[in-house]
Amino acid sequence: MGNNQSRRIEERLARELGLVLILLLLALIQVTLLTAPTGFCIPLLLVLAIGRALVGAGTAEPVRGFMRGLWWAFYSGIALDLLGSMPFGSHAIAHLVAVLVVGLATRRFAVERPLVSLLAVACGTLIYEAVLWLTVLPSGSDWQAYVRVVMLPSLLLALIPTLPTVALLYRLVRTV
Amino acid sequence: MRDFLDERPLKLRREPAGDRGYWRVIALALVLLLVSVLMLVLDRQGIITPVHLRLREVLQPLASWLTERRTDLVSWWSTPRDVATMQARIAELEAENARLAAEVLRLKQVQVENSFLRQQLAITRSYPWTILGAEVMVLAPDAARRVLTIARGAEDGVRVGMAVISQQPGGPPALIGVVEAVGPRTADVLMITDISSQLSVRLLQADSAPLGLMQGQWQRGSRLRVELIDRSLAMREGDHVVTAGISGALDLPLDLAAMPQAVPIGVIEAVRQEGQRQIGEIRPFVDPDQVRYVWVIISQDG
Repeated sequence: MGNNQSRRIEERLARELGLVLILLLLALIQVTLLTAPTGFCIPLLLVLAIGRALVGAGTAEPVRGFMRGLWWAFYSGIALDLLGSMPFGSHAIAHLVAVLVVGLATRRFAVERPLVSLLAVACGTLIYEAVLWLTVLPSGSDWQAYVRVVMLPSLLLALIPTLPTVALLYRLVRTV
Repeated sequence: MRDFLDERPLKLRREPAGDRGYWRVIALALVLLLVSVLMLVLDRQGIITPVHLRLREVLQPLASWLTERRTDLVSWWSTPRDVATMQARIAELEAENARLAAEVLRLKQVQVENSFLRQQLAITRSYPWTILGAEVMVLAPDAARRVLTIARGAEDGVRVGMAVISQQPGGPPALIGVVEAVGPRTADVLMITDISSQLSVRLLQADSAPLGLMQGQWQRGSRLRVELIDRSLAMREGDHVVTAGISGALDLPLDLAAMPQAVPIGVIEAVRQEGQRQIGEIRPFVDPDQVRYVWVIISQDG
């Protein structure tokens, strides 16, 4: 029995390590392949974390599913912090706040409806960018310009991969 | 309940059962947020920064490789189709003679390197600077800060506060940023267009060179702006803007003491009045977002 338990722990650790490595690879792809010359990049990891929380909250074990979404948000935030130039932890905080707020707000809605995913990712991106703004930019910055120049383009970019990503996660999570 | 056909536990979708159990979600979120805030505090105090830089060093080769692939893809996409056909034909011919293809590739690399070195030599002849060439490895993943990572670090003599310049065809070598953080073999450069970038500058006019304060404006939808310290002086369109290098001239123990004076930045494009203040919009000689190769000014005495 002790053996079984330690094997389960080892399997769990191996799964978590595998997830971290995959998210790190996706973070690398996000910061290298998914960037535009104008300085923006498609926030694939944020979409993944929000999608995981939404799909997880719609399963037979919604709390556990939602918690997996939070772990994804944390891991992917750390991965971006590792590759980015902002203070370490800022992306993780922004991801966690976005996934938590959006996940709690949409937990009663069916993720099968495309509009739910799109609205969730849109709100999540705005929260994410707002948290980064509060964490990094100097006080007294022009928030209206920030909304226009940074937040809105990021929001539009985040909507591009939303539906395919959520559909893929839905298929993966529901069939595993 | 069990599914007796395949002996697996059956999971049924639960009916909406209120918010029971969501306290676990909140608790987990709070714990993870606490850990993230702790990391943020430790990073701000510089405790985990060396580990952060070291880990990034490990990932940089893969990041550089992916960035190169992206650049290849973009250039392929922007190439006209008829030229692409010719290139395919050339590729076929090259495949027939592997040795010649390798030689052509090597010569092309030498040519690019030669071009950068010629530029470097021209800069060194015209300005009293010792400079160090560096490739741009990756741009920051977030739009909130304008930072790029270069493939030179502390082992090459790069230090925080050093000026980073680049050159576009037909223009002078010009400031694009300041070294913000240094790892053993890489360094982060804060672009001058970032909102947190502030530098003392001089405006070159016919009879004087008044001091001003320049700030990045990227996050506000513009690029650079300057405001004169002495409000009684006039700013004119077409005035050239260069670094003032005040910290270095006064020998102040600041990071920016490494910033030389008279590094070109740009030209005043428009001037507007805001109450008592004169604000000048600067058009930089080099767009920091477009550079792929830069030089770090190691010292200013040649």
